[in-house]
Amino acid sequence: MVSVINTVDTSHEDMIHDAQMDYYGTRLATCSSDRSVKIFDVRNGGQILIADLRGHEGPVWQVAWAHPMYGNILASCSYDRKVIIWKEENGTWEKTYEYTGHDSSVNSVCWAPHDYGLLLACGSSDGAISLLSYGGEGQWEVKKINNAHTIGCNAVSWAPAVVPGSLVDQPSGQKPNYIKKFASGGCDNLIKLWKEEEDGQWKEDQKLEAHSDWVRDVAWAPSIGLPTSTIASCSQDGRVFIWTCDDASGNTWSPRLLHKFNDVVWHVSWSITANILAVSGGDNKVTLWKESVDGQWMCISDVNKGQGSVSAITEGQQNEQ
Amino acid sequence: MEELDGEPTLTLIPGINSKKRQMCFDWGPGEMLVCETLFKKKEKEEKVLGCPFIYIVRKDIDVYSRILRKLFNESHSIFVGLQRIEEESAGKSRKAQLVRVSKNYRSVIRACMEEMHQVAIAAQDPVCGRQYSSQVSILSAMELIWNLCEILFIEVAPAGPLLLHLLDWVRLHVCEMDGLSADVLGSENPNKHENFWNLPGNTQTLTELELKWQHWHEECERHLQDGTFASNPHLESLCKVMLGDDNALLEQKELLSNWYHFLVTRLLYSHPTVKPIELHFYAQSSLDLFLGGDSGPEPLDNILMAAFEFDIHQVIKECSIALSNWWFVAHLTDLLDHCKLLHSHNLYFGSNMREFLLLEYASGLFAHHSLWQLGVDYFDHCPELGRVYLELHIERIPLNTEQKALKVLRICERRQMTEQVRSICKILAMKAVCNNRLGSALSWSIRAKDAAFATLVSDRFLKDYCERGSFSDLDLIDNLGPAMMLSDRLTFLGKYREFHRLYGEKRFLDAASLLLSLMTSQIAPRSFWMTLLTDALPLLEQKQVIFSAEQTYELMQCLEDLTTGRPEPRDLEGQRPQDDDIETTKVEMLRLALARNLARAIVKEGTLEGS
Repeated sequence: MVSVINTVDTSHEDMIHDAQMDYYGTRLATCSSDRSVKIFDVRNGGQILIADLRGHEGPVWQVAWAHPMYGNILASCSYDRKVIIWKEENGTWEKTYEYTGHDSSVNSVCWAPHDYGLLLACGSSDGAISLLSYGGEGQWEVKKINNAHTIGCNAVSWAPAVVPGSLVDQPSGQKPNYIKKFASGGCDNLIKLWKEEEDGQWKEDQKLEAHSDWVRDVAWAPSIGLPTSTIASCSQDGRVFIWTCDDASGNTWSPRLLHKFNDVVWHVSWSITANILAVSGGDNKVTLWKESVDGQWMCISDVNKGQGSVSAITEGQQNEQ
Repeated sequence: MEELDGEPTLTLIPGINSKKRQMCFDWGPGEMLVCETLFKKKEKEEKVLGCPFIYIVRKDIDVYSRILRKLFNESHSIFVGLQRIEEESAGKSRKAQLVRVSKNYRSVIRACMEEMHQVAIAAQDPVCGRQYSSQVSILSAMELIWNLCEILFIEVAPAGPLLLHLLDWVRLHVCEMDGLSADVLGSENPNKHENFWNLPGNTQTLTELELKWQHWHEECERHLQDGTFASNPHLESLCKVMLGDDNALLEQKELLSNWYHFLVTRLLYSHPTVKPIELHFYAQSSLDLFLGGDSGPEPLDNILMAAFEFDIHQVIKECSIALSNWWFVAHLTDLLDHCKLLHSHNLYFGSNMREFLLLEYASGLFAHHSLWQLGVDYFDHCPELGRVYLELHIERIPLNTEQKALKVLRICERRQMTEQVRSICKILAMKAVCNNRLGSALSWSIRAKDAAFATLVSDRFLKDYCERGSFSDLDLIDNLGPAMMLSDRLTFLGKYREFHRLYGEKRFLDAASLLLSLMTSQIAPRSFWMTLLTDALPLLEQKQVIFSAEQTYELMQCLEDLTTGRPEPRDLEGQRPQDDDIETTKVEMLRLALARNLARAIVKEGTLEGS
């Protein structure tokens, strides 16, 4: 059973493009074609506008919350080719960094696992992917992968942090050797996996081909401690694939078709324990998919937009079966 | 590929009904966000007034029911107790224990039902009242199913007692009874039968019971055929019923609430020594006869039927589909697993059915601000994925109070979840710094073994000292102990404070040595040297000679190092010309003081008592 527990009136004056909950589910960030990014406190079923951030000069496509150990930090990307990083200092939200290194709309931003520090990947319609890394004292280091995807890059998603060998108590100051990886999806119908080399440069590690049209989103599933890695991808071709890699070296990826929709599929995202995949797009619906007892993926819920009454739920009440 | 077992549940989100818009979605830690959007990214488009609402949607809202919370709390204790039941105890005593556990679970369900029933009656708002009543029926159904499972799977009642258990089972759930018909249809006769069969001593064998029953049955038949009841059609039909005449029984259908009531009554009069494996034949025919083609079976009927067929997996599967939360299937399956009844039903990712359900249930608990603590124990008893699920969920618990944070940390520490501990401490350290609670921030960074952050906080302390001339959180700094070694800056902070202490205690020689060593060992940041040298001034001006000649030379060296090296980027932002003057004056004063001290020291050391 799925029930609406809160409705937040964002008062955005134009189309909303993204809404993201923070780590704890206490704050909500939204962004819109009206060029603003808004932050709300949504605890206890309420809504309090905390910030209305202006700075972009075009529709804002995505927002992403950084891990709370770095403070309250939000990244946003926009049609105006900019990536802006906002930070809460002394109770007020301000722009802390602005990146203008792309020649075209920036479509997607994704923070890396907190173990890698404060590191942001950005995918743009100019085909390039930028990696912004915070070096301390207000300094950001930029690395750029040019021509990552021909025509454009639509999505970026980080692999969960996995330390080779066991993570024993590291003496302070020593950083464990993580192999940083992320996936990107582009207008060349490809999904590419990128790996950071020892010299700090990013190299294309794998190319996953299965889609017949633009890849709209990729989502690398959180790790539940198993040796398998899983990536979900969706495309203009209406298909959603689940890619799995069984070996630790990460070399053979096999796709499984989850479903073919009748329309473009725009977004895929994993729940925090990676047991449910949400797919939004085709048919104006969000469908939730789960792997069942025998390894089959099945649709467990259809969250649809439409008219109809939904009872507001307050404590103590129960929906009728 | 997708194999749909049934249609997925459709949830409608209210909003402007437009064919052109799509839905945007995000996962929260315990909920989902949806809003209307248009994915096709057009560069220049006219302002389209979309729906500005974001809907926060949740599954498993049962966790928010105040009354059900008791169910969750109490069943949690029973669950934990069950996990601890000794593996060694086998045979009868173990079975008795498991039956007891089952009865405990059921009594918790009944208590919850009772309370909800009271609330339903007392509800002022009829809509509310109906919702509560509907919840009561659900709980009642759960207890019905559990009870049957207990009889068939846990108690494993053999032929004979089986029927008695079933009679009790039906009686418990059928409320409407009246008069003579009630007698016939089950409520009083069992007593007579009990006496007849002389249970629970169970001194008679099944064959003896069957013989006795046969005898009685034949007598009844004789009476019917002799027309003993011919004058009273009511009594006659009663006799027919007692002879197990299905049609006669069906004529009394209104008095039978449902098909399983019918089933048990039939069995009572036609086949009281029914064996467990025979049950499903009677069950199926009872269901068919009772429904009579009027309607199809409901989910509850299917579940009960699966139970009569001893198809445990089907029971669990049907319950999972029919019920809105995982509580029931998780606890029942766990209990059945303890009865060793579940074949290892391996899931693709290596977990088994029991664990699969417990993980689902416990994950739901984490959505609640206090019930999550129960979830921890459930994860603990899931050997395959429990730990990783706990790791993923526990990090998402909002640490709004210090108390809650400490609770979460304790849980993580007890399980050696070092990554989570570190992560949480870092989060708390950051929060503290943002709220200017430097002492707290420092403790958390130390606990997180976060050298970088400890350096940051130490710098803040030092900055504060420069601005205010005193330290905050002296207790903390004074008692750093070995933690001081975490970062150079922290070590400096600790030692610097120690210098102040020594000075306060008038242990000038020690203080002087310490001060000098802070600079010569390079522990003190360059930016702080001026402050340190200024701190040396009072020591240089004392009546007695504190710094030895050699030490004075070293101090002079430090001063020269500091002053030659300029111009260098100023440490303080934008020093004004007056500051320059102050700096020059300070340097001059120091040079003078050092020179004077040097002179005195040389003299002192040169004389006989000098040391």
